[in-house]
Amino acid sequence: MSETKKIMWMIKKDLLVLWRHKPRLISLFLFPIIMITLFGYGMGGTLNNVPVVVVEQSQGPITDATLTAIKGNSLYNVKDIITDPDKGKQMVQSGQVKAAIILPSNYDNLNDTSQKSIVVDVDSSDQLAASVIIPATQGLFNQISNQIGIQELQTLNFTSTSVASTPQGTNFQNILNSINLQINKLYGNITYLDFLVPAIIGMTILFGCVFGMGEIIAGERERGELARLFMTPTSVSTVVGGKIISKLVQETGRGIILIVAAVLLFGIIINGSIMLTVLLLILGALCFIGFGIMISARVSSQEDFMQSVMPITMPMMFVSGVFYPIETMPWIFQKIAYILPLTYVNDALRAVMLKGAGVGDIWIDIVVLLGFTALFFALGVTQFNRDV
Amino acid sequence: MKYAIETFDLTKKYDEFTAVDALNMKIDNNSIFGFLGPNGAGKTTTIKMLTCLIKATSGTGNVAGYDITNNPNEVREKIGMVPQLVSLYGDLTVRENVYLCADFYGLPTDLKISRADELMELVDIKYAQNKLVKQLSGGMKQKASVVASLIHQPDILFLDEPTIGLDPTTKRVLWDLVEELNSEGRTIILCSHDMYEVELLCDGIGIINNGVLAAFDTPRGLKDTMIKEQKELKSTKDSNVIKIMEELRKESSVEDSAAFDKIKENIEIRNRDLKELSVMISNLDENMLNHLNKLPSIHEIVEHDSGRIVMDIESSDESVNQIISAIITNGGNITSIATKDPSLEDVFMSVTAKKEEEGVDNE
Repeated sequence: MSETKKIMWMIKKDLLVLWRHKPRLISLFLFPIIMITLFGYGMGGTLNNVPVVVVEQSQGPITDATLTAIKGNSLYNVKDIITDPDKGKQMVQSGQVKAAIILPSNYDNLNDTSQKSIVVDVDSSDQLAASVIIPATQGLFNQISNQIGIQELQTLNFTSTSVASTPQGTNFQNILNSINLQINKLYGNITYLDFLVPAIIGMTILFGCVFGMGEIIAGERERGELARLFMTPTSVSTVVGGKIISKLVQETGRGIILIVAAVLLFGIIINGSIMLTVLLLILGALCFIGFGIMISARVSSQEDFMQSVMPITMPMMFVSGVFYPIETMPWIFQKIAYILPLTYVNDALRAVMLKGAGVGDIWIDIVVLLGFTALFFALGVTQFNRDV
Repeated sequence: MKYAIETFDLTKKYDEFTAVDALNMKIDNNSIFGFLGPNGAGKTTTIKMLTCLIKATSGTGNVAGYDITNNPNEVREKIGMVPQLVSLYGDLTVRENVYLCADFYGLPTDLKISRADELMELVDIKYAQNKLVKQLSGGMKQKASVVASLIHQPDILFLDEPTIGLDPTTKRVLWDLVEELNSEGRTIILCSHDMYEVELLCDGIGIINNGVLAAFDTPRGLKDTMIKEQKELKSTKDSNVIKIMEELRKESSVEDSAAFDKIKENIEIRNRDLKELSVMISNLDENMLNHLNKLPSIHEIVEHDSGRIVMDIESSDESVNQIISAIITNGGNITSIATKDPSLEDVFMSVTAKKEEEGVDNE
């Protein structure tokens, strides 16, 4: 047999194996499509649609023009227009929006030549969104400031040829720079690393738990080790329960090591409760272990397990806001993000570690994660195939 | 409890494929039972159902007096299994694997330690007790697997091709162990493709083919049945030949009556109870062959190289004695002598060749 024929046989063999393992075949085509779609539509472009709230404390043409300018900028997605500055700040703190643009009460008063102080409360825990919002908002209000200044000068009948007729005491500089933009970073100066660390921990737990369960259930099933255990008078729940606790201890330990390393090596500061952070790690690990059991319950080999979870876990990593804020993604990805547990793990860990949030602030995340965990475990244990 | 295992229409289906079809068999307590069948015949599926590793689609069975469907945990308490592929944890030591199994069977610590020591000594693996299983040779792994399977002292031990790939010495050790375990009162179910092993060890044999029990008897019984069947078949064929020849003679198509009588005589001789005798004579010569050809108990002699002759002789002890005496009297030096009965392999081939026939119920 010639070498070419041998090579052709190897190719043919691999293709036949692939064809006969449908999960692998589906994964082979589905996985790259999902990934390229995510990158192309979700991650590849500039940051847009950052949710903001505008607080207007006066009515008039300048406010209208400002709102039109903000709404016309694709960076902003104006979620609401309200009148209470405190409520605006609360919306930022609760994570509903990334920034509150608070217009002052003298904003529409052209006769008031004192500076108009606009406050922008920014969710600095989302470093990426904050890093875009701040310069963009500064640019926007510089433009508006100039326009207001010119309008004010026109109100004073001021022209460049009649400087002498300018009323006494007029501060030209103030008029031209009529807006004073005050950026208020609600959580201080948070770096991208600070932003990344909680989600990296969540992601590490995801992969550790899911792939780990694949190894200790699908892998052991494939190697016959699980059969040895099932030959003994032992229930599925005991075997699976033991594996859950074992994995839970490992992954919680891994999460804690990651946090300690981040604190010691990169000076990451945990603003919230360390105990709550650890409890969230445990809850996240439980949830992902449940997911691993659910998939491994029916598959007979580790290879099939890997091919079954990859099209779910890899996109989950990109869609769940590990690297980019969810709110800045196209709406379809936002919808997908909210049906993925990693989103809630990331959100809760960021809230506690960066914003110092308590249980009351993240209860929705906790409830959703508990729900996911219960669902995965119920499906995993009821569908678990004891037959080996 | 008379039977270690009883099955009642035990059936396993995978979609449209029936792996085991309404299996009914009874295996005596304290026996060594050989469960044979070609690859894919359904024996591993049957063993998995009996060891409660998979659920039967329909029917059921009693193992050690417990129903496999309703009392799987009681069954598991009473059985041990040495699977074909060693299923111990490769990254644990032999002792750790044995302890793990002991704890899964709920043995108290002191009993666990003493039994582990005792069993490891019995199969001669104690010297490797602290080695990782993945570092062991095939034979040592199999010994470790046996220890893990026996740690809870099961009444019934299933061995699924336990000696496959093992060297002859290790095979002997395992065979001795099987016999020892059986002498202690355990029932052994042995799945094997090694007919010599089965013949050596087993009191009873079941052959499964295409999911149905095709034969069930003692090894001797199976051979006798085969001899009987072969004789019946030969007799039927020869009777048909004689019948045709009689008809031909009546129609005068066969003119040479003497030739016809000779053929008929030969056929009748063949139908007598003959067996094959193979003798190796170091100084075989023409004179000795002539003497042997004159003996009435010998019907045919075929001479092979190196002084071996294969004879069709009357199937009686006297005829064998007569032939041996004749050889010695004529100065023959016999170096080996053997009569040939059908082997278990012949029985296996014969039974499994009947692909579409119905299963045999031993009841």
